[in-house]
Amino acid sequence: MGIKSFSRARAIHVMLVYTGGCNGCDIEIVNSILSPRFDAEQYKVFLTWNPREADVLVVTGPVTHLNRKPLEKIYDAIPNPKLVVAAGSCALMGGVYKNCFADIPSEEIEGPVENIIPVDAKVPGCAVRPQDVLAGVVSLLPTLLDAD
Amino acid sequence: MDEKVPRSKIIETEIPMGTVHPAALEPYRVRLFVEDEIVQEAEITIGVNHRGIERIMEGLPVEKANALTEKICGICSNAHIWNSCRTAEIGWDIEIPERAVYIRVIMGELERLHSHFLYLAHGCEVLAHETFSMRIFYMREIVMELLAMIGGNRVQYGCSVLGGVRPRCDLDDKRIQRIKDDLDKLEEELTNFAERFTADSILLSRVTGIGVIPQKQALKLAVTGPTLRATGVARDLRTTMFEYDNFDFNVITQPDGDVKSNLLMRALESFESIKIIRQAIANIPEGKVVNKAWDMFDTDIVESYIEVPRGTLYHSYALESGRVRHSVIRTPSMSNIGAMQYACIGDQITDAQLCIVQCDPCFTCSDRAIEIIRR
Repeated sequence: MGIKSFSRARAIHVMLVYTGGCNGCDIEIVNSILSPRFDAEQYKVFLTWNPREADVLVVTGPVTHLNRKPLEKIYDAIPNPKLVVAAGSCALMGGVYKNCFADIPSEEIEGPVENIIPVDAKVPGCAVRPQDVLAGVVSLLPTLLDAD
Repeated sequence: MDEKVPRSKIIETEIPMGTVHPAALEPYRVRLFVEDEIVQEAEITIGVNHRGIERIMEGLPVEKANALTEKICGICSNAHIWNSCRTAEIGWDIEIPERAVYIRVIMGELERLHSHFLYLAHGCEVLAHETFSMRIFYMREIVMELLAMIGGNRVQYGCSVLGGVRPRCDLDDKRIQRIKDDLDKLEEELTNFAERFTADSILLSRVTGIGVIPQKQALKLAVTGPTLRATGVARDLRTTMFEYDNFDFNVITQPDGDVKSNLLMRALESFESIKIIRQAIANIPEGKVVNKAWDMFDTDIVESYIEVPRGTLYHSYALESGRVRHSVIRTPSMSNIGAMQYACIGDQITDAQLCIVQCDPCFTCSDRAIEIIRR
Protein backbone atom coordinates (compact mmCIF):
# COMPACT_ATOMS: atom_id res chain seq x y z
CA MET A 1 0.00 0.00 0.00
CA GLY A 2 1.52 3.28 -1.12
CA ILE A 3 1.37 6.42 0.94
CA LYS A 4 -1.40 7.81 -1.24
CA SER A 5 -3.78 4.91 -0.73
CA PHE A 6 -2.75 4.69 2.95
CA SER A 7 -3.83 8.24 3.59
CA ARG A 8 -6.82 8.02 1.30
CA ALA A 9 -8.14 5.07 3.28
CA ARG A 10 -8.24 7.29 6.36
CA ALA A 11 -10.39 10.05 4.90
CA ILE A 12 -13.22 8.70 2.79
CA HIS A 13 -15.92 11.32 2.42
CA VAL A 14 -19.38 10.23 1.40
CA MET A 15 -21.80 12.75 0.01
CA LEU A 16 -25.49 11.97 0.02
CA VAL A 17 -27.60 13.52 -2.67
CA TYR A 18 -31.28 13.24 -2.65
CA THR A 19 -33.21 13.36 -5.89
CA GLY A 20 -36.86 13.08 -4.92
CA GLY A 21 -37.38 9.71 -3.30
CA CYS A 22 -39.44 9.17 -0.19
CA ASN A 23 -36.89 10.11 2.52
CA GLY A 24 -36.69 6.52 3.80
CA CYS A 25 -33.37 5.63 2.15
CA ASP A 26 -31.83 8.98 3.04
CA ILE A 27 -32.45 8.62 6.73
CA GLU A 28 -31.17 5.06 6.68
CA ILE A 29 -27.96 6.20 4.95
CA VAL A 30 -27.43 9.07 7.38
CA ASN A 31 -28.15 6.52 10.09
CA SER A 32 -25.60 4.07 8.76
CA ILE A 33 -22.78 6.59 8.59
CA LEU A 34 -23.52 9.06 11.36
CA SER A 35 -25.47 7.27 14.05
CA PRO A 36 -23.71 5.43 16.85
CA ARG A 37 -25.41 2.11 16.08
CA PHE A 38 -23.77 1.41 12.70
CA ASP A 39 -21.19 4.18 12.81
CA ALA A 40 -19.11 4.12 9.66
CA GLU A 41 -17.06 6.95 11.14
CA GLN A 42 -15.09 4.42 13.13
CA TYR A 43 -13.75 3.15 9.79
CA LYS A 44 -12.84 6.72 8.79
CA VAL A 45 -15.82 7.12 6.48
CA PHE A 46 -17.33 10.56 6.95
CA LEU A 47 -20.51 12.19 5.79
CA THR A 48 -20.12 15.50 4.01
CA TRP A 49 -22.45 17.91 2.25
CA ASN A 50 -19.72 19.53 0.19
CA PRO A 51 -19.20 18.01 -3.27
CA ARG A 52 -15.67 19.41 -3.57
CA GLU A 53 -14.64 17.37 -0.58
CA ALA A 54 -16.43 14.14 -1.48
CA ASP A 55 -14.99 10.87 -2.80
CA VAL A 56 -18.12 8.74 -2.92
CA LEU A 57 -21.47 10.06 -4.09
CA VAL A 58 -24.48 8.18 -2.79
CA VAL A 59 -27.60 8.90 -4.85
CA THR A 60 -31.11 8.05 -3.72
CA GLY A 61 -34.43 8.65 -5.41
CA PRO A 62 -35.73 8.34 -8.95
CA VAL A 63 -34.31 11.73 -10.17
CA THR A 64 -37.30 13.97 -10.80
CA HIS A 65 -37.29 16.34 -13.73
CA LEU A 66 -36.22 19.38 -11.67
CA ASN A 67 -33.49 17.42 -9.89
CA ARG A 68 -31.59 16.38 -13.00
CA LYS A 69 -29.48 19.55 -13.41
CA PRO A 70 -28.45 19.79 -9.73
CA LEU A 71 -27.38 16.13 -9.81
CA GLU A 72 -25.23 16.68 -12.92
CA LYS A 73 -23.69 19.80 -11.39
CA ILE A 74 -22.86 17.99 -8.16
CA TYR A 75 -21.30 15.11 -10.09
CA ASP A 76 -19.13 17.54 -12.05
CA ALA A 77 -18.03 19.35 -8.90
CA ILE A 78 -16.59 16.22 -7.29
CA PRO A 79 -12.85 15.90 -7.94
CA ASN A 80 -11.39 12.72 -9.47
CA PRO A 81 -11.24 9.89 -8.50
CA LYS A 82 -14.95 9.73 -7.79
CA LEU A 83 -17.34 6.85 -7.38
CA VAL A 84 -21.11 6.71 -7.42
CA VAL A 85 -23.36 4.42 -5.39
CA ALA A 86 -27.01 4.24 -6.40
CA ALA A 87 -28.99 3.25 -3.32
CA GLY A 88 -32.56 2.00 -3.21
CA SER A 89 -34.91 0.63 -5.83
CA CYS A 90 -35.88 4.14 -7.01
CA ALA A 91 -32.28 4.96 -7.89
CA LEU A 92 -31.77 1.57 -9.54
CA MET A 93 -34.88 1.43 -11.72
CA GLY A 94 -37.22 4.31 -10.92
CA GLY A 95 -39.14 2.35 -8.32
CA VAL A 96 -42.89 2.65 -8.05
CA TYR A 97 -42.81 6.13 -9.58
CA LYS A 98 -41.29 5.17 -12.94
CA ASN A 99 -44.53 4.21 -14.69
CA CYS A 100 -47.80 5.93 -14.08
CA PHE A 101 -50.04 3.08 -15.19
CA ALA A 102 -48.85 -0.32 -16.36
CA ASP A 103 -45.93 0.60 -18.63
CA ILE A 104 -46.74 4.22 -19.49
CA PRO A 105 -43.66 6.14 -18.32
CA SER A 106 -44.27 9.04 -15.95
CA GLU A 107 -43.26 12.45 -17.25
CA GLU A 108 -41.83 13.55 -13.93
CA ILE A 109 -39.18 10.88 -13.61
CA GLU A 110 -35.87 11.15 -15.47
CA GLY A 111 -34.25 8.22 -13.72
CA PRO A 112 -32.92 5.69 -13.05
CA VAL A 113 -29.66 7.32 -11.98
CA GLU A 114 -27.74 5.37 -14.64
CA ASN A 115 -29.40 7.48 -17.33
CA ILE A 116 -27.80 10.63 -15.96
CA ILE A 117 -24.44 9.80 -14.40
CA PRO A 118 -22.29 6.63 -14.46
CA VAL A 119 -22.96 4.31 -11.53
CA ASP A 120 -20.27 2.11 -9.96
CA ALA A 121 -22.19 0.20 -7.29
CA LYS A 122 -25.85 -0.58 -6.82
CA VAL A 123 -27.46 -1.15 -3.46
CA PRO A 124 -30.95 -2.68 -3.72
CA GLY A 125 -33.75 -2.46 -1.19
CA CYS A 126 -36.83 -0.45 -0.38
CA ALA A 127 -35.73 1.10 1.86
CA VAL A 128 -32.04 0.15 1.82
CA ARG A 129 -30.77 -1.44 4.99
CA PRO A 130 -27.84 0.38 6.62
CA GLN A 131 -25.77 -2.82 6.48
CA ASP A 132 -26.23 -2.98 2.71
CA VAL A 133 -25.15 0.65 2.27
CA LEU A 134 -22.00 -0.02 4.23
CA ALA A 135 -21.32 -3.14 2.16
CA GLY A 136 -21.82 -1.14 -1.05
CA VAL A 137 -19.45 1.63 0.00
CA VAL A 138 -16.87 -0.87 1.26
CA SER A 139 -16.98 -2.86 -1.99
CA LEU A 140 -15.91 0.28 -3.84
CA LEU A 141 -12.96 1.07 -1.62
CA PRO A 142 -10.33 -0.98 -3.54
CA THR A 143 -11.19 0.92 -6.76
CA LEU A 144 -10.90 4.22 -4.95
CA LEU A 145 -7.64 3.41 -3.18
CA ASP A 146 -5.89 2.08 -6.29
CA ALA A 147 -6.88 5.01 -8.50
CA ASP A 148 -4.23 7.53 -9.51
CA MET B 1 -46.28 39.05 21.64
CA ASP B 2 -46.82 41.58 18.88
CA GLU B 3 -47.54 40.39 15.43
CA LYS B 4 -44.46 40.16 13.25
CA VAL B 5 -45.00 41.84 9.93
CA PRO B 6 -43.18 40.66 6.82
CA ARG B 7 -41.73 43.62 4.95
CA SER B 8 -41.72 43.07 1.25
CA LYS B 9 -40.91 46.66 0.20
CA ILE B 10 -37.49 48.05 1.12
CA ILE B 11 -35.30 44.99 1.10
CA GLU B 12 -31.58 45.24 0.47
CA THR B 13 -30.33 41.73 0.01
CA GLU B 14 -31.77 38.44 -1.09
CA ILE B 15 -30.11 35.21 -0.03
CA PRO B 16 -31.34 32.20 -1.98
CA MET B 17 -30.71 28.70 -0.66
CA GLY B 18 -31.26 25.59 -2.67
CA THR B 19 -32.70 23.72 -4.28
CA VAL B 20 -29.89 21.42 -3.25
CA HIS B 21 -28.04 23.01 -0.36
CA PRO B 22 -25.63 21.55 2.20
CA ALA B 23 -27.63 22.89 5.14
CA ALA B 24 -30.91 21.33 4.02
CA LEU B 25 -31.34 17.60 3.79
CA GLU B 26 -34.22 17.69 1.36
CA PRO B 27 -34.28 19.62 -1.90
CA TYR B 28 -36.38 22.75 -1.56
CA ARG B 29 -35.76 26.41 -2.22
CA VAL B 30 -35.89 29.16 0.35
CA ARG B 31 -35.33 32.84 -0.41
CA LEU B 32 -34.41 34.96 2.56
CA PHE B 33 -34.74 38.74 2.30
CA VAL B 34 -32.24 40.21 4.68
CA GLU B 35 -31.51 43.58 6.25
CA ASP B 36 -28.53 43.84 8.61
CA GLU B 37 -28.43 40.05 8.92
CA ILE B 38 -32.01 40.07 10.17
CA VAL B 39 -34.47 38.14 8.03
CA GLN B 40 -37.31 40.41 6.97
CA GLU B 41 -39.13 37.95 4.79
CA ALA B 42 -38.78 34.33 3.76
CA GLU B 43 -40.26 32.45 0.87
CA ILE B 44 -40.21 28.68 0.51
CA THR B 45 -40.75 27.09 -2.87
CA ILE B 46 -41.36 23.39 -3.21
CA GLY B 47 -42.12 21.23 -6.20
CA VAL B 48 -38.74 19.70 -6.86
CA ASN B 49 -39.81 16.33 -5.49
CA HIS B 50 -43.04 16.06 -7.38
CA ARG B 51 -43.55 12.46 -8.47
CA GLY B 52 -47.28 12.50 -9.13
CA ILE B 53 -48.37 9.79 -6.70
CA GLU B 54 -52.03 10.72 -6.98
CA ARG B 55 -51.84 10.34 -10.73
CA ILE B 56 -50.21 6.93 -10.35
CA MET B 57 -52.93 5.93 -7.85
CA GLU B 58 -55.68 6.81 -10.32
CA GLY B 59 -57.33 3.62 -11.53
CA LEU B 60 -55.27 1.22 -9.43
CA PRO B 61 -57.06 -1.51 -7.45
CA VAL B 62 -57.52 -0.19 -3.94
CA GLU B 63 -55.18 -2.74 -2.32
CA LYS B 64 -52.37 -1.71 -4.65
CA ALA B 65 -53.11 1.98 -4.14
CA ASN B 66 -52.87 1.49 -0.37
CA ALA B 67 -49.44 -0.05 -0.74
CA LEU B 68 -48.42 2.81 -3.02
CA THR B 69 -49.40 5.53 -0.54
CA GLU B 70 -46.77 4.13 1.77
CA LYS B 71 -44.12 5.35 -0.67
CA ILE B 72 -45.20 8.97 -0.25
CA CYS B 73 -43.01 9.37 2.80
CA GLY B 74 -40.29 7.29 4.38
CA ILE B 75 -40.77 8.83 7.81
CA CYS B 76 -44.52 8.54 8.35
CA SER B 77 -45.09 5.67 5.92
CA ASN B 78 -47.33 3.75 8.32
CA ALA B 79 -49.59 6.76 8.75
CA HIS B 80 -50.19 6.96 5.01
CA ILE B 81 -51.08 3.30 4.52
CA TRP B 82 -53.20 3.39 7.68
CA ASN B 83 -55.21 6.38 6.51
CA SER B 84 -55.55 5.06 2.98
CA CYS B 85 -56.93 1.75 4.29
CA ARG B 86 -59.14 3.69 6.67
CA THR B 87 -60.62 5.67 3.78
CA ALA B 88 -61.64 2.51 1.94
CA GLU B 89 -62.91 0.98 5.19
CA ILE B 90 -65.13 4.01 5.79
CA GLY B 91 -66.39 3.87 2.20
CA TRP B 92 -67.17 0.15 2.22
CA ASP B 93 -68.25 0.00 5.85
CA ILE B 94 -65.69 -2.67 6.75
CA GLU B 95 -65.59 -3.68 10.38
CA ILE B 96 -62.04 -3.96 11.70
CA PRO B 97 -61.26 -6.57 14.39
CA GLU B 98 -60.47 -5.03 17.77
CA ARG B 99 -57.05 -6.69 17.87
CA ALA B 100 -56.11 -5.14 14.54
CA VAL B 101 -57.10 -1.68 15.83
CA TYR B 102 -54.78 -2.16 18.79
CA ILE B 103 -51.88 -3.26 16.60
CA ARG B 104 -52.46 -0.26 14.32
CA VAL B 105 -52.35 2.04 17.32
CA ILE B 106 -49.12 0.42 18.54
CA MET B 107 -47.52 0.88 15.11
CA GLY B 108 -48.79 4.44 14.88
CA GLU B 109 -47.37 5.36 18.25
CA LEU B 110 -44.04 3.64 17.59
CA GLU B 111 -43.87 5.64 14.41
CA ARG B 112 -44.63 8.82 16.33
CA LEU B 113 -41.74 7.98 18.66
CA HIS B 114 -39.30 7.46 15.81
CA SER B 115 -40.46 10.60 14.01
CA HIS B 116 -40.15 12.71 17.16
CA PHE B 117 -36.71 11.29 17.90
CA LEU B 118 -35.63 12.08 14.37
CA TYR B 119 -36.91 15.62 14.88
CA LEU B 120 -35.01 16.01 18.15
CA ALA B 121 -31.83 14.53 16.69
CA HIS B 122 -32.01 16.70 13.60
CA GLY B 123 -32.84 19.77 15.69
CA CYS B 124 -29.85 19.20 17.97
CA GLU B 125 -27.65 18.67 14.92
CA VAL B 126 -28.75 22.00 13.46
CA LEU B 127 -28.04 23.55 16.86
CA ALA B 128 -24.54 22.03 16.44
CA HIS B 129 -24.94 19.98 19.61
CA GLU B 130 -23.68 16.69 18.25
CA THR B 131 -23.58 14.86 21.58
CA PHE B 132 -27.31 15.20 22.10
CA SER B 133 -27.94 14.34 18.49
CA MET B 134 -25.99 11.08 18.86
CA ARG B 135 -27.74 10.23 22.10
CA ILE B 136 -31.14 10.56 20.47
CA PHE B 137 -30.08 8.62 17.39
CA TYR B 138 -29.08 5.82 19.73
CA MET B 139 -32.47 5.91 21.46
CA ARG B 140 -34.16 5.95 18.09
CA GLU B 141 -32.44 2.69 17.16
CA ILE B 142 -34.43 0.94 19.92
CA VAL B 143 -37.67 2.06 18.28
CA MET B 144 -36.44 1.17 14.80
CA GLU B 145 -35.63 -2.38 15.90
CA LEU B 146 -39.08 -2.73 17.42
CA LEU B 147 -40.65 -1.55 14.16
CA ALA B 148 -38.46 -3.97 12.22
CA MET B 149 -39.52 -6.79 14.54
CA ILE B 150 -43.24 -6.12 14.03
CA GLY B 151 -43.27 -5.08 10.37
CA GLY B 152 -40.22 -6.91 9.02
CA ASN B 153 -38.52 -3.80 7.63
CA ARG B 154 -36.91 -0.78 9.20
CA VAL B 155 -38.76 1.67 6.97
CA GLN B 156 -42.08 0.99 5.22
CA TYR B 157 -43.55 -1.83 7.21
CA GLY B 158 -46.78 -2.32 5.23
CA CYS B 159 -48.62 -3.07 8.45
CA SER B 160 -52.21 -2.14 7.60
CA VAL B 161 -54.17 -3.99 4.92
CA LEU B 162 -57.81 -3.60 3.98
CA GLY B 163 -59.85 -4.91 6.92
CA GLY B 164 -57.10 -5.19 9.52
CA VAL B 165 -53.36 -5.76 9.66
CA ARG B 166 -51.05 -8.17 7.89
CA PRO B 167 -50.77 -11.53 9.73
CA ARG B 168 -46.98 -10.98 9.81
CA CYS B 169 -47.54 -8.04 12.17
CA ASP B 170 -49.54 -10.02 14.75
CA LEU B 171 -48.10 -9.82 18.25
CA ASP B 172 -47.36 -12.99 20.24
CA ASP B 173 -46.22 -13.16 23.88
CA LYS B 174 -42.55 -13.08 23.00
CA ARG B 175 -42.95 -9.91 20.94
CA ILE B 176 -45.09 -8.25 23.60
CA GLN B 177 -42.45 -9.02 26.21
CA ARG B 178 -39.76 -7.49 24.02
CA ILE B 179 -41.82 -4.34 23.45
CA LYS B 180 -42.32 -4.10 27.22
CA ASP B 181 -38.60 -4.45 27.99
CA ASP B 182 -37.52 -2.03 25.28
CA LEU B 183 -40.07 0.59 26.34
CA ASP B 184 -38.71 0.49 29.90
CA LYS B 185 -35.21 1.01 28.57
CA LEU B 186 -36.41 3.78 26.27
CA GLU B 187 -38.31 5.62 28.97
CA GLU B 188 -35.31 5.57 31.26
CA GLU B 189 -33.01 6.93 28.58
CA LEU B 190 -35.53 9.55 27.51
CA THR B 191 -36.00 10.71 31.10
CA ASN B 192 -32.23 11.02 31.51
CA PHE B 193 -32.02 12.96 28.29
CA ALA B 194 -34.88 15.31 29.19
CA GLU B 195 -33.33 16.05 32.59
CA ARG B 196 -29.96 16.72 31.02
CA PHE B 197 -31.55 18.87 28.32
CA THR B 198 -33.56 21.08 30.66
CA ALA B 199 -30.60 21.49 33.02
CA ASP B 200 -28.38 22.82 30.23
CA SER B 201 -28.62 26.59 30.60
CA ILE B 202 -26.39 27.30 27.59
CA LEU B 203 -28.58 25.26 25.28
CA LEU B 204 -31.79 26.69 26.69
CA SER B 205 -30.62 30.27 26.27
CA ARG B 206 -29.70 29.39 22.69
CA VAL B 207 -33.20 28.13 21.82
CA THR B 208 -35.46 30.40 23.89
CA GLY B 209 -37.20 33.10 21.92
CA ILE B 210 -35.92 31.94 18.53
CA GLY B 211 -38.39 31.46 15.70
CA VAL B 212 -41.46 32.48 17.66
CA ILE B 213 -44.86 31.75 16.15
CA PRO B 214 -47.56 33.51 18.20
CA GLN B 215 -50.75 31.58 18.86
CA LYS B 216 -52.98 33.97 16.94
CA GLN B 217 -50.75 33.75 13.90
CA ALA B 218 -50.51 29.96 14.11
CA LEU B 219 -54.29 29.66 13.99
CA LYS B 220 -54.44 32.11 11.11
CA LEU B 221 -51.87 30.10 9.14
CA ALA B 222 -53.76 26.83 9.82
CA VAL B 223 -50.73 25.20 11.39
CA THR B 224 -51.32 21.60 12.50
CA GLY B 225 -49.86 19.00 14.80
CA PRO B 226 -47.16 19.45 17.43
CA THR B 227 -46.14 22.77 15.90
CA LEU B 228 -49.62 24.13 16.69
CA ARG B 229 -49.70 22.51 20.13
CA ALA B 230 -46.34 24.15 20.91
CA THR B 231 -48.09 27.52 20.63
CA GLY B 232 -50.59 26.58 23.34
CA VAL B 233 -53.56 25.28 21.35
CA ALA B 234 -54.72 21.89 22.66
CA ARG B 235 -55.89 20.45 19.37
CA ASP B 236 -55.20 16.79 18.66
CA LEU B 237 -57.24 14.65 16.28
CA ARG B 238 -56.45 11.57 18.34
CA THR B 239 -59.07 12.69 20.84
CA THR B 240 -61.74 12.30 18.15
CA MET B 241 -60.53 9.09 16.47
CA PHE B 242 -62.43 5.91 17.39
CA GLU B 243 -59.14 3.96 17.45
CA TYR B 244 -58.04 5.87 20.54
CA ASP B 245 -61.35 5.54 22.44
CA ASN B 246 -60.00 2.99 24.92
CA PHE B 247 -56.77 4.83 25.65
CA ASP B 248 -56.05 7.38 28.29
CA PHE B 249 -53.55 10.09 27.36
CA ASN B 250 -52.99 13.80 27.76
CA VAL B 251 -52.78 16.37 25.00
CA ILE B 252 -49.50 18.14 25.66
CA THR B 253 -49.17 21.85 25.01
CA GLN B 254 -46.34 24.32 25.42
CA PRO B 255 -46.81 28.05 25.86
CA ASP B 256 -44.33 29.91 23.65
CA GLY B 257 -44.17 28.58 20.11
CA ASP B 258 -40.40 29.03 19.89
CA VAL B 259 -37.70 26.41 19.27
CA LYS B 260 -37.54 25.52 22.97
CA SER B 261 -41.28 24.88 23.15
CA ASN B 262 -41.13 22.79 20.02
CA LEU B 263 -38.25 20.65 21.25
CA LEU B 264 -39.85 20.10 24.67
CA MET B 265 -43.19 19.43 23.00
CA ARG B 266 -41.77 16.46 21.09
CA ALA B 267 -39.94 15.09 24.11
CA LEU B 268 -43.04 15.28 26.33
CA GLU B 269 -45.27 13.84 23.65
CA SER B 270 -42.93 10.86 23.38
CA PHE B 271 -43.74 10.01 27.01
CA GLU B 272 -47.45 10.04 26.15
CA SER B 273 -46.78 7.70 23.22
CA ILE B 274 -44.94 5.30 25.51
CA LYS B 275 -47.95 5.45 27.84
CA ILE B 276 -50.36 4.60 25.01
CA ILE B 277 -48.25 1.65 23.81
CA ARG B 278 -48.07 0.31 27.38
CA GLN B 279 -51.86 0.45 27.69
CA ALA B 280 -52.24 -1.22 24.29
CA ILE B 281 -49.98 -4.18 25.01
CA ALA B 282 -51.51 -4.65 28.46
CA ASN B 283 -55.11 -4.81 27.18
CA ILE B 284 -54.66 -6.24 23.69
CA PRO B 285 -57.75 -8.37 22.95
CA GLU B 286 -57.60 -11.88 21.50
CA GLY B 287 -59.05 -12.72 18.11
CA LYS B 288 -58.29 -12.52 14.43
CA VAL B 289 -56.31 -9.65 12.94
CA VAL B 290 -57.94 -9.29 9.56
CA ASN B 291 -61.55 -9.22 8.47
CA LYS B 292 -61.98 -10.58 4.96
CA ALA B 293 -65.77 -10.51 4.83
CA TRP B 294 -66.61 -7.33 2.95
CA ASP B 295 -68.36 -6.34 -0.25
CA MET B 296 -67.19 -4.00 -2.96
CA PHE B 297 -69.55 -1.36 -4.29
CA ASP B 298 -69.17 2.05 -5.91
CA THR B 299 -68.99 5.02 -3.57
CA ASP B 300 -68.82 8.77 -3.74
CA ILE B 301 -65.67 10.53 -2.59
CA VAL B 302 -64.77 9.26 0.88
CA GLU B 303 -62.66 11.32 3.26
CA SER B 304 -60.56 10.39 6.25
CA TYR B 305 -58.52 12.50 8.65
CA ILE B 306 -56.03 11.10 11.16
CA GLU B 307 -53.41 12.56 13.44
CA VAL B 308 -49.92 11.61 12.28
CA PRO B 309 -46.61 12.57 13.94
CA ARG B 310 -46.49 15.91 12.10
CA GLY B 311 -50.14 16.92 12.18
CA THR B 312 -53.33 16.19 10.33
CA LEU B 313 -53.25 13.88 7.35
CA TYR B 314 -56.09 13.87 4.83
CA HIS B 315 -56.81 11.20 2.26
CA SER B 316 -59.82 11.06 0.01
CA TYR B 317 -60.85 9.06 -3.02
CA ALA B 318 -63.91 7.63 -4.68
CA LEU B 319 -64.19 3.89 -5.28
CA GLU B 320 -65.37 2.65 -8.65
CA SER B 321 -65.56 -1.14 -9.21
CA GLY B 322 -62.79 -1.65 -6.66
CA ARG B 323 -60.53 1.00 -8.17
CA VAL B 324 -59.40 4.36 -6.88
CA ARG B 325 -60.66 7.56 -8.52
CA HIS B 326 -60.00 11.26 -7.85
CA SER B 327 -57.44 10.68 -5.15
CA VAL B 328 -56.45 13.67 -3.03
CA ILE B 329 -53.81 13.56 -0.32
CA ARG B 330 -52.98 16.48 1.93
CA THR B 331 -50.04 16.15 4.26
CA PRO B 332 -49.36 18.15 7.43
CA SER B 333 -46.16 19.78 6.17
CA MET B 334 -48.16 21.43 3.42
CA SER B 335 -50.10 23.53 5.92
CA ASN B 336 -47.01 24.11 8.05
CA ILE B 337 -45.05 25.81 5.25
CA GLY B 338 -46.66 29.12 6.18
CA ALA B 339 -45.40 28.68 9.72
CA MET B 340 -41.88 27.94 8.48
CA GLN B 341 -41.79 31.15 6.46
CA TYR B 342 -43.23 33.12 9.33
CA ALA B 343 -40.87 31.72 11.97
CA CYS B 344 -37.81 32.99 10.08
CA ILE B 345 -38.93 36.64 10.23
CA GLY B 346 -37.12 38.79 12.74
CA ASP B 347 -34.34 36.33 13.49
CA GLN B 348 -30.70 36.20 12.52
CA ILE B 349 -29.91 34.64 9.17
CA THR B 350 -27.85 31.96 10.91
CA ASP B 351 -30.99 30.84 12.73
CA ALA B 352 -33.11 30.60 9.58
CA GLN B 353 -32.39 26.92 9.09
CA LEU B 354 -33.26 26.26 12.74
CA CYS B 355 -36.53 28.15 12.38
CA ILE B 356 -37.48 26.02 9.38
CA VAL B 357 -36.45 22.78 11.07
CA GLN B 358 -38.47 23.60 14.19
CA CYS B 359 -41.69 23.19 12.20
CA ASP B 360 -40.71 19.61 11.33
CA PRO B 361 -40.71 19.92 7.55
CA CYS B 362 -41.10 16.95 5.24
CA PHE B 363 -41.07 18.35 1.73
CA THR B 364 -41.17 14.92 0.18
CA CYS B 365 -44.63 14.48 1.64
CA SER B 366 -45.75 17.91 0.59
CA ASP B 367 -44.95 17.82 -3.09
CA ARG B 368 -48.39 16.94 -4.31
CA ALA B 369 -49.86 19.08 -7.06
CA ILE B 370 -47.88 21.54 -9.11
CA GLU B 371 -48.00 22.86 -12.59
CA ILE B 372 -44.77 22.44 -14.46
CA ILE B 373 -44.34 24.81 -17.37
CA ARG B 374 -41.73 23.49 -19.77
CA ARG B 375 -40.18 25.86 -22.22
